[in-house]
Amino acid sequence: MLNNKTLLFYFLLFLTCSKSFGQEDEVTSQTGRSKKYSLILYLSGGAGYFPSNAGAPGYLKPKLARINPVTTARIMWKPDHRLKAGFETGYMTFYSYQLTDANGNKGKVSLDAIPLLLEFSVSVKKHFNLFAGPGFYILKTKLNYAGSAESNKVSTGWMAAAAYTAPLSKEISIGAEAKWLYAAETIRGSFGLQLQASWKFLKW
Amino acid sequence: MMKQYCVAILCMLIFSCKKKYEAPVPDARWDLFSSSTATVLTHNTRNKLEGVYSITDGTDVFGPSAALKWSYTANGRDTTYHLSMFCERQVVYVICEGKRLDSTILLNGYWRNVVNTETGLARFTLSKNSGVGYLLDSSNPDTIPAIVITGTFGTGDVPPDRPISLQYSRPLYRATPLEIVAHRGGGRTSDLLPASENTVEIIKMASRLGATGIEIDVRFTSDSVPVLYHDATINERLIQKNGMVGPIENYSYAQLNGLVRLIKGERIPTLREALDAVVYNTSLRYVWLDTKFTGSMQKERDLQVEYMQKAAAMGRNLNITIGIPDEDVLKNFLKLSGYQNIPSVVELTPQDVTTTNAKIWAPRWTLGLQNEEVERMHAAGRKAFVWTLDVPENINKYFLQGKFDGILSNYPSSVAYYYYAKQ
Repeated sequence: MLNNKTLLFYFLLFLTCSKSFGQEDEVTSQTGRSKKYSLILYLSGGAGYFPSNAGAPGYLKPKLARINPVTTARIMWKPDHRLKAGFETGYMTFYSYQLTDANGNKGKVSLDAIPLLLEFSVSVKKHFNLFAGPGFYILKTKLNYAGSAESNKVSTGWMAAAAYTAPLSKEISIGAEAKWLYAAETIRGSFGLQLQASWKFLKW
Repeated sequence: MMKQYCVAILCMLIFSCKKKYEAPVPDARWDLFSSSTATVLTHNTRNKLEGVYSITDGTDVFGPSAALKWSYTANGRDTTYHLSMFCERQVVYVICEGKRLDSTILLNGYWRNVVNTETGLARFTLSKNSGVGYLLDSSNPDTIPAIVITGTFGTGDVPPDRPISLQYSRPLYRATPLEIVAHRGGGRTSDLLPASENTVEIIKMASRLGATGIEIDVRFTSDSVPVLYHDATINERLIQKNGMVGPIENYSYAQLNGLVRLIKGERIPTLREALDAVVYNTSLRYVWLDTKFTGSMQKERDLQVEYMQKAAAMGRNLNITIGIPDEDVLKNFLKLSGYQNIPSVVELTPQDVTTTNAKIWAPRWTLGLQNEEVERMHAAGRKAFVWTLDVPENINKYFLQGKFDGILSNYPSSVAYYYYAKQ
């Protein structure tokens, strides 16, 4: 698991790379300063894959559902330079599993999350953007075993994503995004693939 | 520039793995020790072996001196005796079982340094010219011959080959009683002890680690079952991850018992199971119930009464106190009927101690020695325990300059060394 210092290190490393990358005109989709600003809304839906068994211990004989829905919404402020900033939230399931206890009793555990992430983005090719940022995940356990229970906990975390979008008009684009969503409490992150629609809903 | 991103991602992959630290108890099987002709040591022999010993060989690992003391774990009619060697070096101990084979005494076990992951086998032999005749003799002559314990120790499960030698110096210090209180039932999970903190298993080990008493953390499940758990939430520091997050109070006992396993595989015990272990399996004489919940304390009080009565019925002098760590708990404690007659340990001010008529005042060690305040407690017929002392220099300072009656520590073996080796 990454600790907070390590997370911060990687985040700063990413920003350093992004900054030097974003200053090179020949690989960006936008050159020069336009003095134009906009807000862009991204809506994404797809599936996440949880690649670890770490959250479903063997003594519960788990039948693990690794592929689960991931829905996210993101607002990015696009200034007249290449590093964009914004915020992302949504609802996702990291993993769920059917369990059987030592006495043969059945149950189900689901670990869901609401990400609350500060995000930064840089364009690396035309229509191709990278996103990353730190934040929090409100983790939610839904338990159905010997009755039902729900319990929440806030975890630190981060995300990183790469998205390709094709413009349908000046304001609307569609595309796809691959992303890694990581909450420290889950030990491992979830790899997501989403279809994405973006709408430049405000310009000034 | 894509190379920069590749390097960054590669760095993440390489450095993201968390190193897993382990200190497994070595496999202590020893054919000679398991011999069918080997017999258990008598009470008299065990008593004679106790004492403060100077270490000649093996000082780099164990330090120059060690205090040797026996403890036992009862299991029905079976009782297992362990000889613990509390070493001067921070924080090293040896735990052995002992047997007699003809005219030889064999000690077989393992050693551990708690501040790192160092551990290994330890085997000792006492034969001719090492005082074994005196040790095996059922009489108690006035003069004690030179007792020399020689043996070998190693690393991990590898057969031990490094020499270690201990020579008897003097009897254990016992002049002024001291309560050595092990934190979280015996020690922290993070110290890679053989059992997880706040479990029945670590409580049974506590005496071997040097404790005469334990502190355990009490919380309630959603269906009001008192259980042992330290942290405010279920987390990977204490349990094997299973998708359950959040406060323990959000889950029923059946859910926790069926689904949660602590780091070493144990279940979260109920307070009743823990006190059962104290009364029926150990020689511990003190339990500090650290109250980690807010709300009615009646169930905690009822169990306190029940188990002090059970211990008394067995002829045990067991003292169980309800911990009052903060103002919220104090308010709930004052709602208990006859609270002034309830044995309690108060971490707050001396005035709160008076209000509750607590048996014990327990200030944090960072507040200093507070000798005058401790003497006032003694004058009022109360005791004073200090928490949480872990650094050997501080432990020794509190022995030499302080007046406390008990010390709460994550390293009871260190406290035990400085106490029993006191002159």
